[in-house]
Amino acid sequence: MRYSGLRVFTEGLFGNKGWKPAWRDPEPKREYDTIIIGGGGHGLSTAYYLAKNHGLTNIAVLEKGYLGGGNVGRNTTIVRANYFLPGNQEFYSHSLKLWEGLEAELNYNVMHSQRGLINLFHSDGQRDAFARRGNAMINQGDDAELLDREGVRRHLPYLDFEQTRFPIYGGLLHRRGGTARHDAVAWGYARGADQRGVDLIQNCEVTGIDIKDGRVTGVQTTRGAIKAKKVGIIVAGRSGQVAAMAGMRLPIESHILQAFVTEGLKPVIDHVVSFGMGHFYISQSDKGGLVFGGDLDFYASYAARGNLPMVEHVMEAGMTLMPMIGKAKVLRSWGGIMDMTPDGSPIIDKTDVGGLYIDCGWNYGGFKAVPASGWCMAHLMATGESHEVARRYRLDRFATGRLLDEEGTGSQHNLH
Amino acid sequence: MRITCPLCGERDRREFYYYGDAVYADRPAADAAPEAWDDYLHLRDNPAGETRDLWYHEMGCAAWIEVTRNTVTHEILATRLVAGREGKKAAAKGRGKKA
Amino acid sequence: MPSLIEKSACDGLLPVSAGGVTLSEPAPERITSVAPFAGKEAAAGKALKALGLGWPGPGTSIGGEGRLCLWTGRGQAFLIGAEPEGLAGIAALTDQSDAWARMRLEGGGAKAVLARLVPLDLGAGAFPVGRAARSGLGHMAMILHRSGAQSFEIMVFRSMAASAVHELHQAMTALAARAAL
Repeated sequence: MRYSGLRVFTEGLFGNKGWKPAWRDPEPKREYDTIIIGGGGHGLSTAYYLAKNHGLTNIAVLEKGYLGGGNVGRNTTIVRANYFLPGNQEFYSHSLKLWEGLEAELNYNVMHSQRGLINLFHSDGQRDAFARRGNAMINQGDDAELLDREGVRRHLPYLDFEQTRFPIYGGLLHRRGGTARHDAVAWGYARGADQRGVDLIQNCEVTGIDIKDGRVTGVQTTRGAIKAKKVGIIVAGRSGQVAAMAGMRLPIESHILQAFVTEGLKPVIDHVVSFGMGHFYISQSDKGGLVFGGDLDFYASYAARGNLPMVEHVMEAGMTLMPMIGKAKVLRSWGGIMDMTPDGSPIIDKTDVGGLYIDCGWNYGGFKAVPASGWCMAHLMATGESHEVARRYRLDRFATGRLLDEEGTGSQHNLH
Repeated sequence: MRITCPLCGERDRREFYYYGDAVYADRPAADAAPEAWDDYLHLRDNPAGETRDLWYHEMGCAAWIEVTRNTVTHEILATRLVAGREGKKAAAKGRGKKA
Repeated sequence: MPSLIEKSACDGLLPVSAGGVTLSEPAPERITSVAPFAGKEAAAGKALKALGLGWPGPGTSIGGEGRLCLWTGRGQAFLIGAEPEGLAGIAALTDQSDAWARMRLEGGGAKAVLARLVPLDLGAGAFPVGRAARSGLGHMAMILHRSGAQSFEIMVFRSMAASAVHELHQAMTALAARAAL
């Protein structure tokens, strides 16, 4: 079924009785060419691009819960391409271009809103760093504008420009940055993959990975054994557990990142704003809630909820930056489980097991990467070669020293 | 989350700084193979459940503490001083002999 | 040669009072950090005994007004108000006299004031007279010592003196205002 304005109108006339489920609910077959473990944003987009770009359709996506029930449903929905290091730059640039065409591509409203993203800076040194970052972004072909204090004031008049602890010197404006509707991205890719023949199998937990003579032969699941020639592990948040089924240890420690949303308010914040000194960023959802977050809780955790000291820290940082939000009531907070790598960059690579591929380690940058991650993982799984924009996301880069340390904080999982 | 410091008693989580997996306390020998260093610095079991990691009582007594806890429930199961570990003592003795 | 004016850490900031609680600055005294070398713990204890004090266990102090040995961390104690005689060579000694802002909080509501800033149980059972702790005062690292039933000695890094006085005074006035309702 093709979605359109006319369709919405005519369905409205006839009591909305003609809508069909957006995807099938198939029983797993005993064998597929390709299995994707993980029905989140990255797994679904991988399945979609395997079908769309490479014509492979004998694919199953195995999801232990429901589609989009993991981190793609637990993030702060920011989409941007403002990276500095070669390796990250071209990847996120590619991803943003895919975002810009995504709604037409999927015939699905993912509510991508390029409202502009402003990273504030608060010292001369930080200004220099952002100027360099902006130049790198422009060299990559993306957009960046360096704003001075008055420039920031024109965009964000409600910030506290008087506070002296972290005075606002200016900001780096990335006009093509913005937000999208997180669930809709997963649903859009799910629908697109399903329409191309991919089996999306929910409530099907992988319990083992079968390997024979160094090659993957299939998986064991709670709904029986399923054979496959190729298997992709795309389960950020649980990467370590699933990789262990294939005898692998990963350079990943799982950490908790909290986020918060307030009651719905009239439109007041029409950018994505990040506070360069206070681990705080904020945007306003279309529903009106202020969506904001801060830094990791800093300890390994799978609890999907955090502790109060970080809640206090985030609130303090928010109040320091924009005291006007002080009366807004926080409705909900939640935690996502982050695959933290020692350099803060992801992994899209083959493994030492033939036919077994892995896409993991998204730290807290996974949402904006959903389109390009699927694109590149599909390319890798279909051709056996890394896509040119994901060539540096190697699994062995830690052993070989080719780190992609965007923040320059070193080999410690919680510092990125 | 409250962590029991072996010296100070039960304290609020905000007094502590988290360093990482307890393997950080077992540094490979300087001439160890690169694989041992990769293992030490990067690769993690990363269990969902019981784990051991290193915390520093930063706002307290400045002791390094090995904490056994559950990463799913945030329950603290046991704590001990890194300085008092058997392995550490044995290593220190070994160094003394060499010298 | 410029002539420097010697000032205590809380000079010009203290004393302040509110609601029957007073925050004041004790007279400056010699503070020495004593950290016994490995294997010299017993010798350090003996030398401190000779000073009429002793090595304090975790969370405790020995001595009192004017002459105090205060536990301040793993393998470390502060000797306050006494010269570190007989300790040279058996413990690492550092003069920290000017590194700390010392404050004394006294009065019936002292415990209630600290309850707003310190994440510890300061009841007489859990934290009796003579107890010492390192913890936080708001966001600042702090050494806390209970010097009397209704008096606490607080030490923070000297650079944080004004912030500590501000935080404590704010807690004092807030409690006083509440009591006056």
